[in-house]
This record gives sequence, structure tokens and C-alpha cells, in this order.
Amino acid sequence: MTYEERWTGFEAHIDGGGMVEAGDWMPDEYRAGVLKFIEMHANSEIMGAIPEREQIPGAPSLKRKMSLTAKVQDEVGHAQLLYRVAEDLGKSRDAMYWDLVSGKSKFHNVFHYPTFHWGDAAVIGWLIDGAALVTQASLLESSYAPYTRVLKRICAEEQLHLRHGEDITLELASGTDRQRAMLQDALNRWWLPIIHFFGPKSNVDKDLLLRWRVKTRTNEDLRAEFLDRYVPKVLELAFELPTPVPFKDAASERWVVNDEDIDWAPLDAIKKNQGPETERRLGLRRRSYEDHRWVREALDDQTSQAA
Amino acid sequence: MRRSTIRPRRRPESLVEIYEVFRRSGHKQPFEHCGSVTAPDVGMATVMAKECFTRRGEGRHLWVIRRADIHTWSDDSLPDPAADKSYRFAHAYRDVVKKRALARSRAQADAR
Amino acid sequence: MSDILAAILIALADDELIIGHRHSEWTGFAPHMEEDVAFSSIAQDEIGHASAYYSLASTMVGQTPDQLAFGREPGEYHNAVLCERPNGDWAYTLARHWLYDNADALRLEALERSSRPELALLAAKIRREERWHSLHAELWVKRVAEGSVEGRGKLLHALAEAFAEVRGLFEPFDNEERAIAQGWLTVPSPVLGARFVETTTAALDDLGLPVEIEPGAITTELIASSSGDLIATDEDSASITPAGGGLGGRYGRHSDDFKALWAAMTATYKIEPEATW
Repeated sequence: MTYEERWTGFEAHIDGGGMVEAGDWMPDEYRAGVLKFIEMHANSEIMGAIPEREQIPGAPSLKRKMSLTAKVQDEVGHAQLLYRVAEDLGKSRDAMYWDLVSGKSKFHNVFHYPTFHWGDAAVIGWLIDGAALVTQASLLESSYAPYTRVLKRICAEEQLHLRHGEDITLELASGTDRQRAMLQDALNRWWLPIIHFFGPKSNVDKDLLLRWRVKTRTNEDLRAEFLDRYVPKVLELAFELPTPVPFKDAASERWVVNDEDIDWAPLDAIKKNQGPETERRLGLRRRSYEDHRWVREALDDQTSQAA
Repeated sequence: MRRSTIRPRRRPESLVEIYEVFRRSGHKQPFEHCGSVTAPDVGMATVMAKECFTRRGEGRHLWVIRRADIHTWSDDSLPDPAADKSYRFAHAYRDVVKKRALARSRAQADAR
Repeated sequence: MSDILAAILIALADDELIIGHRHSEWTGFAPHMEEDVAFSSIAQDEIGHASAYYSLASTMVGQTPDQLAFGREPGEYHNAVLCERPNGDWAYTLARHWLYDNADALRLEALERSSRPELALLAAKIRREERWHSLHAELWVKRVAEGSVEGRGKLLHALAEAFAEVRGLFEPFDNEERAIAQGWLTVPSPVLGARFVETTTAALDDLGLPVEIEPGAITTELIASSSGDLIATDEDSASITPAGGGLGGRYGRHSDDFKALWAAMTATYKIEPEATW
């Protein structure tokens, strides 16, 4: 069979709802595309651990201290699962980690921003996890089978995180004026990054990942679902959302934002790894990676055989 | 005072390996694959797998196996046997009910 | 009398809270991804143990566990200085984890025989989790000890550093003699310290780790410290510092490291101490 024949067969398989396993034949473009996509997802989980872990030392109760630690632990666990899936497509975890810390590969925009206080733990845990869950749930239908298998577990844990984040949020929302002010401050800073989170409008004709059902829904579709689900929940707690200010579209009766109100400049900078916290956070990971070379060597050492 | 000398060690090739992890949620369930870990040896792989895959009490029994030691087989093509193999399935015996009735009426006829 | 027991429970809780706090600082940042997950569970366990000890003390002193954990001044925390030291690198973290959990195992074994049933029961529960912590620490220490020269060197250095302060874990509690007389505690801290030196020295010897320990030294000094000789007495001094050798923590004398940890740990709580979070 020629490469073209195999390609045609592969597309027919995908169009017929078929799934792809790691050992199956796949076009190089599919392999590279899936690898890059899952690698970025994994990178985002491990980088997403940083802003949240910044709030662990100051968690305000014993219960919160344990549950936020557990939540960040889950995110690292997700990275572990995802890197394993990506690794089986032909790039070692070490290579992916090095590409991440040296700034060669990318991670999600929201994890390039700083945190200042417990209000950030609330908004990250509720709205950013809410946004991530909308995206990840859509990927459960992806054509790459090993990805869908780990996503099943990831989505189940994200459901729990959503509750956890909402619980923190509601405690602040029903608390003192200072507690409410912390939440409002965090909302003001995170709203635009959350809108960016879904990415600019998809180019349906050119996006191979959409064509091959690695991704199943467009960026704008996912953003619309998020807005309609979460805007009313924020507003009913009597908080304000900054530009792009959402409103209820009269025709569709759905919560939306005006596309022209979205300032994309911050996202463009982040795409070049020039976000407010990008260099500092990557630098922390890079230094830790270099300082702990000896640990990797200790783990590599075959002369040591633990019982 | 106790002292011993540092023994120099040979530096081998990287041997961090992938271990596949199977989990059983209870004694009535079978072991099922739940993921994999990267670890230097089976002892550490087990310790790590315990936290990666059972920290919410999803199971208390694990099998941890070097991926290299697992043999796989798969065939996604539709089964197209050369002969009828329906005898392997319960649906091939659906007319047992009818036959039971027939046999019963025959037995009753004999008894008369 | 219950004040004496409450103070001891709080000191035990403080050890667990502060080391748990340090361990949790690795979550999301450990040098190996699966290990990150494993070590985070240990951090959560330690904070959970703290919470359980605080709960026992809570009714005796009329404060909630969170008030005890976050609402005290630095000089009112009675954790050992060893627990508050920054994580440093993975070698120091491992060394301290191994030493602490070995020490805790001995302490729990003694607490399981306490005349206070609720304390004995809790100790038994905690000990089940601590067994797993010890196994985890042991696997790591063994691997690094038997591994490359560089890692082994770092571990040795870290063990020496941590060991120099380990006696703080066996510094007697306030009114320890009376707690022993009541059977609340079953083994005096210096005796536990001596057992610790014995087992740890043997374990280090098995691993071929040349950490310099004078057998008996730690015990002698602990007895001396319990008489108060080694503890500086200027309680009102603004600069509270450990008395050296990792001692002083049980009397609320901490390092600057603790002040930084305490400031971070209580920052949110102190914004609205009366609020729920």
C-alpha cells in the first residue's frame, strides 16, 4: 500500500467514527499534531500547578491546606498521565520537560499570570477549572483513544475540583466585605485571560486536528458554552465582570461577549512566551531541573536495586 | 564513631523504565489496567503507583509489571470465520424453549 | 492537669503541621513527577495528623483546631526546630523525612500505650500511615545512598546537617515528668532519643553512610537540656532563637526560618480571624 492509500484509508476510518491506538498506522501529520496537542495539555497541567501551589502556604484553614495541596497533587497527576500518553507517540518525557523549561514549547495562557491572595485560589479553582472542564469534556470524544482513556479520569477529578473551587468562592462571596473584595479583585484580573483561554476563532478549513476529530469543537463554540454556563453564576453572587462585559443576547437568550471588546494583545505576547510570569516560573523550573540532575541520575542507576 | 568508605559506582545507561499498573477495586473484581508510571525499579514503581492510582481508595490491590514483559495481541478486523461458529454463543440455542415443550409433550404421550 | 496534656498534644501537632507545611511546598515542584504525587500524599497525611492532635486538644483548651493552628504567636508554637527548616534541595528533604519519620515511629509506638484511650487510639491510627512514610523514605534513602557519588555525597551532607538538629525532636515537653507519672506519656523523651540514636546508627551503618555520630552524645545532652542548662532563659527577649543543636523549639524558641514560615502560613487567616474561609 502506498502512503496515499494508507492516508485515504485512515481518513475513512476517522470519518466512520474510528479510534486510533498508539501502535496503529497514522499519518505523520496526525502523530505530530496529536503529540503537540497532548504535550501542550500536559505542559499546562504541570505549569498550572504553580499558580495554585503559590497559595498553599497561606491556605486559611487546616481543611483548605490539605484540600488545596490535594488539588495541586491531582494536577501533577494529570500531567503524569498525559506525559505518559504523549511519550508513547515518540517523544520522551525528559525531552518534553526540557522543551518546556527552556521555553521551546508552550502552555496555556492562564498559567502565565501572577497570584496575589486567596481570592486567586477561588477564581482559579472555580472559573479556570470550569473553563478547562468545558474544553476537556469535549475532548472525551477525541479520535485518539489513549487520550480519551486518561481524559475520563481527568474529567472526573476536574468535576471534584470545580466543586472545591466553587466551595472556596461561595465562602468568600458570603463572607465579610474584605473577603468579597478579594474575590472581586481576582475576577477583575482573571476575566480577560479566561476569555483568551479558549483561543481565537478556529479556522475550520485549515485545522487538521478538527478534521481528524482530535479536537471535536471550535474555540468559539467552547467559549460560548462557558459564558452561558458561568456568567449567570457569577452575576447572581452580585459580582461585576470587567471588559469584555458579558450581556444576554436578546435573540439567542444566551450570555455572550462582543468579539470586538476582546483585546487579544496580551494573548499574542503569551504565545511568544512573554507573559507577566512566564520567565520567572520557567526559570524556577529550569533551575530546579538543573539542580536535581543528580536525582535523575540516582533514579537511573541500575546498580541500585531497591527491594 | 562509625565510618565507611564511599564506593565508586559505574554509570550505566538510563534504565528508568515504564511500568504498567493494574488495579483491583475489591476481591470480586478482576484486575484492570489503570495507567503506567516511570520508575527506576519495581519497588519504587509500586510505591509511586500506590499514590498515583489508589489515593482515593479506588483499589487496595495492584499489579505492577514492566511494560517490556507484557506481550500484546490485537486484531480490530471484523471476525469472518471460514465456518459457522455460532455454537460458541448462547443465541445459537434460543430454540431450546421450543424443544423443551416438544420433549415434554412427547413424554406425556408416552406416559399415556 | 488537662492543660499539661493539651500542651503536649499541641506540641505534637505543631511538629506535624510544620513539617507537613514544608513537605507541601514540594507539591507541584518535586524532581520526579510520580514522586511529586507520592510526596504530596505524605504532606497531606502530616497536616491531617496535626489536625487530629489539635482536635483532641481543642476541647481541653476551648479553641478550634484552626485557631490553634493559625491563631497563635510564633513563640507559642512548640515544634522542633528541625521541622521548620526550609526544604533546601531534595537531599535535605529526604534526609529530614527519613529522620523525622523514624523518630515519629518510635514516638507513636510509645503513645500507643498511653493511659488516655483517645490518644492511644489516635497514635495507632497515625502509625498505620507512618509505616508507609517510613517505607517511602527508606526506599529513597537506600537508592540515593547506593547510587552515584554525587547524590550520595549530597545525601551525606544533608544527613549530617539534619542530624545536628534532630535532638530537638526529643527535647522534653513542658511538665513531661507529670505526664509520665499519669501514664499519658509512657517513655521519657530522652529515652526515646537514645533508642532513636541506636536504630538510626544501625540503619546508617547498613547503608554504609559515614555520618558521624557519637553514640550516647545525643542522650547525654538531652538529659542536660531537660535540666534547663542548655536552654537560654530570657523569655522576654525580642529575638527568639533556638538554643543550638536544634533545641529550644519545645519552649517556643525558633529560628528566623520559622518566623518566615509563620508569616506565610497565617497571612490569609489573619485578614479575618473571625471569618470562615
